[in-house]
Amino acid sequence: MCGIAGFTFESAAAADERRTRFGPSLARMTAALRHRGPDAQRGLLLDGVALGHARLAIVDLAGGAQPMRDPETGMTVVFNGEIFNHRELREELAGRYRFRTRSDTEVLLASLVLRGEAALHTLNGQFAFAAWDPRTRALLLARDRAGICPLYFARTAGGLAFASEAKALFAGGQVAPALDFTALAQTLELWSPVEGRSAFAGVEALPPRTLARFQDGELTLRRYWDLDLSDARVEPGSAAHAEAEVEALLGDAVRLRLRADVPVAAYLSGGLDSSLLCAMARSEVGGGLRTYSLTFADRSYDERDAQGTMVGALGTRHRQSGVDQRAVAELLPRAVWHSEQLLVRAAPAPLLHLSGAVQAEGIKVVLTGEGADEVFWGYDLYKETAVRQFWARSPGSRLRPALLARLYPWLAGAPRSAALLADIFGPGIDSPTDLGFSHRIRWRAGARQLRLLAPELAASLAHEDPAEALLATLPPQVSGWRPLARAQYLEMQTFLAGYLLCAQGDRMLLANGVEGRFPFLDHRLIERAARLPDRLKLAGLCEKKLLRRVAQRWIPQAVAARQKFPYRAPAAAGLVGAGAAAWARELLSPEEIRRTGIFDPVQVQRLVKKLAESDCPTESDGSAVVAVATGQLLAQQFATAACPPEAAVEAVALEVA
Amino acid sequence: MGIAEQVRSFIRESFFVEDFEEGASFLRTGIIDSMGMLQLVAFVEDTFGFDVADEDLVPANFDSLASLTAYVEQKRKRQTA
Repeated sequence: MCGIAGFTFESAAAADERRTRFGPSLARMTAALRHRGPDAQRGLLLDGVALGHARLAIVDLAGGAQPMRDPETGMTVVFNGEIFNHRELREELAGRYRFRTRSDTEVLLASLVLRGEAALHTLNGQFAFAAWDPRTRALLLARDRAGICPLYFARTAGGLAFASEAKALFAGGQVAPALDFTALAQTLELWSPVEGRSAFAGVEALPPRTLARFQDGELTLRRYWDLDLSDARVEPGSAAHAEAEVEALLGDAVRLRLRADVPVAAYLSGGLDSSLLCAMARSEVGGGLRTYSLTFADRSYDERDAQGTMVGALGTRHRQSGVDQRAVAELLPRAVWHSEQLLVRAAPAPLLHLSGAVQAEGIKVVLTGEGADEVFWGYDLYKETAVRQFWARSPGSRLRPALLARLYPWLAGAPRSAALLADIFGPGIDSPTDLGFSHRIRWRAGARQLRLLAPELAASLAHEDPAEALLATLPPQVSGWRPLARAQYLEMQTFLAGYLLCAQGDRMLLANGVEGRFPFLDHRLIERAARLPDRLKLAGLCEKKLLRRVAQRWIPQAVAARQKFPYRAPAAAGLVGAGAAAWARELLSPEEIRRTGIFDPVQVQRLVKKLAESDCPTESDGSAVVAVATGQLLAQQFATAACPPEAAVEAVALEVA
Repeated sequence: MGIAEQVRSFIRESFFVEDFEEGASFLRTGIIDSMGMLQLVAFVEDTFGFDVADEDLVPANFDSLASLTAYVEQKRKRQTA
């Protein structure tokens, strides 16, 4: 993967004038993304557009330099990501295009030249790119279907500026950094800003599966693909047949993602999904597959036993990286700098540590298992939705909500009363067709964090309703789908694209120049899984049924039968009390809370006191302190536009053409 | 401090909510979340010196400041009687 940046400008300035007027800004933008592409940083100033690229060289190490221009048409691309089917596309296009390199970048360029915007439908990959067509003076921006590669843009005096990360827009002077408090409230309640927003005022996020066209000062966005989970698409068929198809598709998705001119390693959490990927990858590459995993000092968050079983079964070259709560807290400042979001969980931070361990061994690419829980229904959310729907058919029942105690073992203790259970999971039970039915309970939990906001800020946000803002972005057809399909759409748009792939995925990987590849998010697999009957995903209360059956042929029974073990990383002990990191002590002090103005010093003090006195904080208090601490970090780190180091700016090779 | 004041102060300190009605449902209005209910029950047991039986864990006893105060008063009366 790489980093891309650039901007349009008016006028047909002469070449040397372009260099003086726009070169320094482009160089700073590109340098600000150096962590994403440490191998080379180049900029190109054309008539009307500046394009920058920081390269992590993975395919065609010698020939894949960017920006890349088509000599015939002048079409020029900067591209972050991978086109996994580049060999097949190259064969299709070879008769009509004279290829000069072996790179997938040139396949993208040729596809755009020959097929225009329709090229997007032929790409199997993870990508964010910008393409400039000098003939029409149009700038195209696009992101992959699931939202693996990031892309932000801003309207500027000169037209439009874009970058893989917002910090490049700030470094280039395109936008002055300022927090968007609407986005902040949305993040507290929903875990990420609503699709299209970033954490910053004036900076927009290009949504996944979207193509933007900027021409003659007009910007138009359209979804070129969407998840279709309508009932009509479901194929009854036999389970055995569906299973064979999913297995073959997943195998092919893994095979395509092992294509690279550098070694490909894998993350191995010890759960079903990553174990299955590693087993499939191992059978493709033979021996010598490198695997990486996190271990936690606190064993209740740790999966090292399952990891050990898998390493033993596959014979991979495995490396563990251990963290404790203090280490997680120490990593949070860098995690915020890279994720550019307030975080309601500390879970991204250890992944920064893990990608660092991968980079230290000279590895640039890892396979990783994100997406399986969304596509094949692994999360408790799906079970919770199924039970609440079942209960909604007989809202007076006292037995139906009791099923929820089977999902959340702690509920089996206390509150032990079915009536209390009904109060916890009851909100919304009378409107089972509500578009947000599946997520209302957790949004309410998130909204509870809003009480930590400073009263003045809370008052100014009182008219905002994050959940309604989110629901307003959903395409109308979603409301006609069955409840679990609606849940999946919401989950893929908010949790997956807004948080998991972004704050916890791309940013934590690319902070250390490591590319993640996500076989479960191959669009063919997403589309095939969308056509599976519900019972092959969630069978009663058994999650990921079909995937589990596939996995039984690849991995030891003990791992295939494991229940979903959510990945979590506690941090409270590293943020408050005797073991608090120095930065946290300072930023959580009443003076700093007051100075920043986002949170209420009185409430934060209560929270800090409560956590300091408790050895076992609740999830919501643990989340609250991470939210406050990372909100403080975000405000502090992005108070002014940080300039990349002079040496990094000078290292950007600028060309004018 | 009376029972109601003690409970109100605990809720204010523990759940970061400044002000709430005496009759407002803790769970349905979101004042307290499900894990918070566990803390509230533990607080009641520790502060007022009795164990809460399973059959007492019903919204009628625990779901608002008013109902909880009445419940604690009644339990105490029964203890001293």
